[in-house]
Amino acid sequence: MSGSSLRVERLVAAWGKSPVLRDISFEVRAGETLVILGPNGSGKSTLLRCIAGLETPVGGRIWLGEEELTRLPTFRRGVGLVSQEPSLFLHRTVAENIAYGPELRGLSREETDARIRELATRLGFSGLLDRRPGQLSGGEQARVALARSLAASPRALLLDEPFAAIDPAFRSGLRAEFRSVLKDRELPVIHVTHDREEGLFLADRLLLLFDGEVHAVGSPQELFRTPRTVRWARFLGYNVLSVAHELHAVLPSDLSVVPPGTGRLRGKVTAFGLLGSTAGVSVRLPDGTLVEVHLPASRNTIPVGEEVGLEWSRSTPVTEETTREPPS
Amino acid sequence: MRLRSVAGLFPLQLFLLGFALLPAALLVGEAVASSGGASAWWALLGTPLDRAAITDSLVQGALSALFATALGYPVGVLLGRWQFPGRSLAIAFLPVPFLLPSLLVLLGLADLVGPTGLLVGALPGVAWLDSGIPGILLVNVLFNAPIVALLTATGVRNSPAEQEEAAELLGAPPGRVYREVWGPLSLLGAAAGALLTFLFSALSFAAPLIVCGPRCFTIEDRVYFLVQVLAEPHAAALLALWAVTLFAVPTVLYGFLLRSMRRRGGHRRAAPRPLSRGRWRVVPVLAAGGALFGAELLLLGTILYRAVVPASGPVGASWGKLFGASVSSRLGISTGQVLLNTFLFASLAAGIVLLLAIAAGLAYRRAPRAAAATENLLFLPLLVSPVLLAFSLATFWRPLLGGANSVWVLIVVSQATAALPLSVPPVLQALTRLSRPATEAAATLGARPLAAYFDVELPRALRGLGSGALLALAIGLGEFTATYFLYLPRFTTLPVELYLLQGARQFSLLPAVGGLLLVVSLLAFLGVELGGRWIVR
Repeated sequence: MSGSSLRVERLVAAWGKSPVLRDISFEVRAGETLVILGPNGSGKSTLLRCIAGLETPVGGRIWLGEEELTRLPTFRRGVGLVSQEPSLFLHRTVAENIAYGPELRGLSREETDARIRELATRLGFSGLLDRRPGQLSGGEQARVALARSLAASPRALLLDEPFAAIDPAFRSGLRAEFRSVLKDRELPVIHVTHDREEGLFLADRLLLLFDGEVHAVGSPQELFRTPRTVRWARFLGYNVLSVAHELHAVLPSDLSVVPPGTGRLRGKVTAFGLLGSTAGVSVRLPDGTLVEVHLPASRNTIPVGEEVGLEWSRSTPVTEETTREPPS
Repeated sequence: MRLRSVAGLFPLQLFLLGFALLPAALLVGEAVASSGGASAWWALLGTPLDRAAITDSLVQGALSALFATALGYPVGVLLGRWQFPGRSLAIAFLPVPFLLPSLLVLLGLADLVGPTGLLVGALPGVAWLDSGIPGILLVNVLFNAPIVALLTATGVRNSPAEQEEAAELLGAPPGRVYREVWGPLSLLGAAAGALLTFLFSALSFAAPLIVCGPRCFTIEDRVYFLVQVLAEPHAAALLALWAVTLFAVPTVLYGFLLRSMRRRGGHRRAAPRPLSRGRWRVVPVLAAGGALFGAELLLLGTILYRAVVPASGPVGASWGKLFGASVSSRLGISTGQVLLNTFLFASLAAGIVLLLAIAAGLAYRRAPRAAAATENLLFLPLLVSPVLLAFSLATFWRPLLGGANSVWVLIVVSQATAALPLSVPPVLQALTRLSRPATEAAATLGARPLAAYFDVELPRALRGLGSGALLALAIGLGEFTATYFLYLPRFTTLPVELYLLQGARQFSLLPAVGGLLLVVSLLAFLGVELGGRWIVR
């Protein structure tokens, strides 16, 4: 496999006059997975589509190694894309779907068959090669879509929320499989998602994209442990609490419910329910802020409407980010 | 907009401009110039026979559209809205009369209510349906009501299921759901069908010619008569210009309605519901369905019955005579060769239509907006009627292509032109409905745009391609007007043979020719349908 890095320089994209991506720059090294995490509408998919050549950016440049991709048509870029909708060719069998890329590259029948067998074994669908896409489950379709992209020997791989349509019960197994398969290949991989657990699990590096702008880039641990802005903290699941005119990011699991009158804040319980291994409590503060608290599941029910105090073991100071001028 | 993205439209545009628009425009332009300008065109209204042809065209078109819509709309609602046993079969069977040659429908009518008709013995009161305006209207309605029904059913099926469910969940009664959700779309379909019926009936050629004669001539018949009998090509061209002027608005409106129907359709199509849920409301709908399907079955059954059991003479005698030497010497060609011509010309025309549709489809996928903007051109052949088309092809292309030997080419071209407005839209519609992600996936796997179109998009639109090909083949097999205008004995087709034998008063042979034409059309229909299913499988 090749080992070129993928570089995006000052990329700008727009829908008509509305900017979608503003001045995006980053680099993904070969063998590295960059996860782009952002809410819906933040421009994640547009960014991938620009890199794949499916959308034309207004400005900026895209490089794969020493080759500039910006003006190349999609079919010449050698960039694979696996999307939320697997888009398998319904009139072809699973094997024929995977063979499509190698066929276009003129690989011999033997080489193509060997590649299909290797990928099918690796991704665990050897028994499905003669089936049509319509006969596959969502998870199987996602595996086949990845195999089809990898069989075409891409120089970089883009994953656009490939697990979004998968049943949550199967999602964690599937992403582990994807990670393992991709680690064996020296490809720059960009994975976009709005699911923070998925992003934190898969990323070698994480990029937070808000409103078409890079908000933060770093290792998953670094970004998760030290949020710097309110938005960053909230997106990663923190509560943002205001104490003595200072803002603090506190994880729900770092909060505890204490008797009223004690603790740094007080509020009224608005909901209590089991979340699985923990119990979730929603507490409304006097200023209207809703705070989420995770307690051990064994904890007794707290009645809705009860006054409680809140205390926390660890917090990170955060600031409101600078508000950008609206586009003219 | 890159020129390359819309290049696929060029063959279709060139074909229509070169064979339909330009020759007709030159022909009419020359007639106007050499007859003294627009005043000559206007003065045509002072000629009683020409004025009568215009009036008859409008009256026959309007009445046919009215009756065909009255019958076709409830049937379309029935097929589009409700699920019942045999529904798929009914949908497949419904367009059969429309796909049959108009002459065959005429023959069936004569077999039913003509002087020796099967129904006349039992119900003498129906004999008046065989001739005059009633006969013409009956043929036009039987021929076109299926189209109104199919377009209505398409409108109903395209209605947005999500909106209907939301309205029902909010407590809207059926009448309100009809008014606000699926009714408007069904009416759009019916209006498109009514306009098509109006155009086909107002420009009808065979029905007025055979059923009624000169006192019911439409513009088409009168133009033919002026050119071929009276040798007055300029007067004919000026009258044809009247047709173009009168029918331009309905043609453009038809295209607009089709596009509106497509645009207003929902993301999720409404599934047909069990018939029992409609209760008493479905009674008139069922009655209309029974009447239309009953009439269709009676018509086709009568043609087949008469082909085997003639009104006079022994069973099977006419078949031997049809393929015998007397017919060959009378027509200058054997019926076997006529059969071969019919298949060959229709297949070539269908092939041309399919190639043009495939090329245009590429532009529809690459630049949908630009391609849709040129869609009106597709309806040009509805405006340039078959007689005008054949007349202008014979005037301009025949000398250029080498005279008499080129007639078969002109027949194929005229059949393809006649088929374009009905055969290309199903292909384009099938391609328009395809989602983009599969195409984009092919591109990211390294497929060039053309490879992605042929590997990924066309295979997924095979049903639309099959429908387009079937329609083109059926129209080619049954095309009579332009073919009759252009033919030479060695290029005779079955519909022309049927008419020639009738003109030669060989009435005993007509049921056999009709049966042959029906069997050929049904075989072609089945062949394309089954072939299409096999490919799709």
